[in-house]
Amino acid sequence: MRVIHHATPTHAANGVFLIVHANPNPARRRWLLRALQGMIGATVIAILYPVARFLRPRKATVSGALELVAPLKPKDLLNGSAKPFDFAGKPCLLVLLPEGAKRLAQGERLQTDDVRAFNAVCTHVDCTVKYRPSEGDIFCNCHDGVYDLDGRNVSGPPPRPLEKYKVTLRGEPGQEEIVVSRQA
Amino acid sequence: MTTAYRRLIATCQYFLGVLAILVTRVTFGQTVDLPADYSCSLCHRKQGELWNENTPLTDESNMAGDIHWQKGLRCHDCHGGAPTLDKFKNHRDDPEFRSVRLRTSIPGFCGHCHSSIETMRRFAPSARTDQEAEYWTSGHGRRLRASSRDDESRVDKAVATCVDCHGGHGILAVNNVKAPVYPTNVAQTCARCHANQTIMANRTFNDQPLGHDQFDQWRRGVHGRALLEKGDLSAATCNDCHGNHGAMPPGVDSVANACGTCHGKIANLFAETRMKHKFQEARLPGCATCHGTHETIQPSDELLGMEGTSICARCHNPQNPQYGATVAGEAAARAMRDRLEQLKDQIAQSEALVRAAERLGMEIRGPRFDLRQATDALTNARTLVHSFKPGPLEATLGEGLKVTDQVQAAARAAMREHTSRRVWLAASLVPILMVVALLLIYIRTLTPPSAVEPGEPGSAGH
Amino acid sequence: MKLLSTLRAFFDERLGLEAVRALARKKRVPNHGCSHFYYLGGMALFLFLVQIVTGILLSLYYKPSPDQAFESVRAIMTEVEFGWLIRSAHSWSANLLIGVLFLHLLTTYMMRAYRRPREMTWISGVLLLGLFMAFGFSGYLLPWNELAFFATRVGTAIVGVIPFIGDHLLLLARGGEDVTGDTLARFYSLHIVVLPLVTFGILGLHLFLVQKHGMSVPVLTAADGEHRTPSIPFVPHFLLRDMVGWYLALALLAALSALFPWELGTKADPFASAPAGIKPEWYFLFMFQTLKILPARLGPFEGEVCGVLFFGLCGLVVLLVPFLDRGGKSRMVLNVLAALAVAFFIFMTAWSWFSGPGQGVRQIMLGTLLVAVVLFLLIPFARAHSAARSAVYVCLAISVIAFLSASGWELMR
Repeated sequence: MRVIHHATPTHAANGVFLIVHANPNPARRRWLLRALQGMIGATVIAILYPVARFLRPRKATVSGALELVAPLKPKDLLNGSAKPFDFAGKPCLLVLLPEGAKRLAQGERLQTDDVRAFNAVCTHVDCTVKYRPSEGDIFCNCHDGVYDLDGRNVSGPPPRPLEKYKVTLRGEPGQEEIVVSRQA
Repeated sequence: MTTAYRRLIATCQYFLGVLAILVTRVTFGQTVDLPADYSCSLCHRKQGELWNENTPLTDESNMAGDIHWQKGLRCHDCHGGAPTLDKFKNHRDDPEFRSVRLRTSIPGFCGHCHSSIETMRRFAPSARTDQEAEYWTSGHGRRLRASSRDDESRVDKAVATCVDCHGGHGILAVNNVKAPVYPTNVAQTCARCHANQTIMANRTFNDQPLGHDQFDQWRRGVHGRALLEKGDLSAATCNDCHGNHGAMPPGVDSVANACGTCHGKIANLFAETRMKHKFQEARLPGCATCHGTHETIQPSDELLGMEGTSICARCHNPQNPQYGATVAGEAAARAMRDRLEQLKDQIAQSEALVRAAERLGMEIRGPRFDLRQATDALTNARTLVHSFKPGPLEATLGEGLKVTDQVQAAARAAMREHTSRRVWLAASLVPILMVVALLLIYIRTLTPPSAVEPGEPGSAGH
Repeated sequence: MKLLSTLRAFFDERLGLEAVRALARKKRVPNHGCSHFYYLGGMALFLFLVQIVTGILLSLYYKPSPDQAFESVRAIMTEVEFGWLIRSAHSWSANLLIGVLFLHLLTTYMMRAYRRPREMTWISGVLLLGLFMAFGFSGYLLPWNELAFFATRVGTAIVGVIPFIGDHLLLLARGGEDVTGDTLARFYSLHIVVLPLVTFGILGLHLFLVQKHGMSVPVLTAADGEHRTPSIPFVPHFLLRDMVGWYLALALLAALSALFPWELGTKADPFASAPAGIKPEWYFLFMFQTLKILPARLGPFEGEVCGVLFFGLCGLVVLLVPFLDRGGKSRMVLNVLAALAVAFFIFMTAWSWFSGPGQGVRQIMLGTLLVAVVLFLLIPFARAHSAARSAVYVCLAISVIAFLSASGWELMR
């Protein structure tokens, strides 16, 4: 068995794999191996860390969704101060009807129609509408457009009614979740 | 001839007439169904037995669609007189007959029913009954009266009466899309005369020539395009500003009221400005001063300010102020325009930053959603311009600018996060490349393999 | 450690691992002028592994329905932590993998590694290439963006051009007349179930055959007997060098993912018209461009049909190379054909890539990369230490520098 021993660096015949033999100092070799293992460990961690973070659950998705639990509770809707939130990229206005407000005050369970959800983009020139509990209507401040609580355009320039979303309420009375959903 | 013989002739002629009707119905198709004993068509139809060239013909082509016909009214309900002849009778001898040979009698002819509350209640309870009264106050009515006052034969034949707009024998209901007075057709109907150079020649109003270009102008303007191209029935057409039957150009002080019928908020803002009073003093036509009368152009921000094509500069010209236009006004115009442009710039910048962040794949939907508030503020501000005071504008624009600042900050933060990813990448490359380096060194320390092992195949296997 | 050796002994006894270890000890890798081509197989395996891992991770968040696909990919890119990294790695790795596979095919051909008894290794390899291109095609549709949608529509339409069975194939591929949610479901199932299973099978066969027959050696080197070629042990000498390659690939992937994250595009709208300049992924460009330039009719046949059949024929020829190569004349013919094929591939790909809306710097990047690849392949043809070899190295260095500069420029924008 021919074994090639070389004390000095050499090239294997014709080969691309350079066989170089540096003096194998055992201590150096051990140190080298340890360092190598350490660095490999570091790279493994560098790979596993993002993977681990990736696997963690994320916040509920907002855009493009067909259905969403509103970030507002019924009690946030009293006196019409609730701002529209993002639903499928468009502002969604939640309206708590007077009957609903009464039921809420008395601690009764809300009925489905007590909360209504609309696409808050005015059909005139795309301003954001707001709910006016004092007038019992939905109002667009830009050009005095008025919608009724069914979203129908009743006065002013808006040419079409507001897009209406479906609302489902679930949960304990007073703590209901408002689930807003739309057609695709 | 004896009476009996005449009667015999009449009866024979009657039956022949009926036969003629039946035959013509078969051969010529559509004719309206008159009751069996009606005798109008004996004279007033070309195929009628007793027609001659001097007899006026009825145009029955649209009669079946006529709203009056559909309600069951027949010839004599409008024209009066007796519908059946028991002997040959001249209309002029019939006191019940209502003639329309004179143009000036047309309004009264229609008004016979349409001004009667009892009559109209039977057919259309909620219909108005003041059209005839309105008509006589209108430009058309006045002209009709004035031209025929002294001599009926010199009546102005070109002036519109009821039948010129509504039609004669084929009157369609107003809500019928083919009616000449359906909203999309109104302007066309008015234009029949008001766009005709010959008819409108030498006609004046308040010593100004009436002209004939209103229809073209309106068609080019926002209202014309909205109505005709977009089919928006709520857009203003002739009668919305000039009135229906009492059609007159609105006085210069009433222009703002006419516009304000629809553009309520803006008209209210304008009503409280000093400009409104100045306009009235100078006899300027309110809104139309800046926005045009018939050719109401699409308003743009360029109308405001003191540069280029702006309208403010026309009066608030420092070298040549008109109508008492003030320097303060000039400053206000400039200020309002500058602030509007500032918000527009900021919105554009915010959009660009948001787009850049999106392109980098960063989560930016929240700020994009918030940017709406800034565009809302801009729309609001454009309305508030009509208060012609920088103050209210400032407040709205300020809110908008706050939003754009926030959005831009968020977008920049997203892009910084993107950069930080690259930094972390560089950091992660360090251990990787160190492994590579160490491997290469380690490989050098490996025991050199025997180059070949004779007797053993160079590769594993067989 | 004591624990480790006890565990080792435990599993050895029950699973017979000693046989595997013996095999590993005995396996050697020939050491000759073309030996650096041996890295390509392992590199492909490594990239495939990356694909499996990132693919599994992506499947945890991806939703395969037309109204949710795009949104879910968007969520992965923007909401899931490091989702952008995993997704970009998956997309880049796919492209690198197919590139490596092309190189592996080409270099195996050049080394004539398909000679008896390795014909089946070659056949299984060609089948694997087809499978991976199917992976690429099916995976491309999954983000359901505009480019993907229309590229799939065009691609499946081309399948429909095949005479007799084309219509059935089209319906089978699309799951209907047009590209719809059914197509998406079908492609998804293909991509994560059917193709992986088939690939594991054929890959297993391929790897088994490689172990069984060992690494082949080029003809000239084997002139004095294959068993006399200098070689190095697989473990640890070759394996450690392989690892260097893998780590470099890892670095490249990390850099590409972080610096050039994969685009989201715009959501597909089946009713919109196709955007201008639609193109499939680069590994289909040569076919795409050929079909584009073919005239509508070639004699009595439709141009497209000729094109598709031509490529089918080419694929068949590639598959049967071990049987077509009888040495001497036939070998020369095959060599000429191979050179033509490579030139054709590069030319058509470049033509298609550089036509259409310019992407400026990215085109330069790609161009320099292509040049570098070609030069890499030429290395073994230039004798070691000759002027030619040095020239190749210099050109390679220039093109790599050019590539890095172009990338740097693109980054700074």
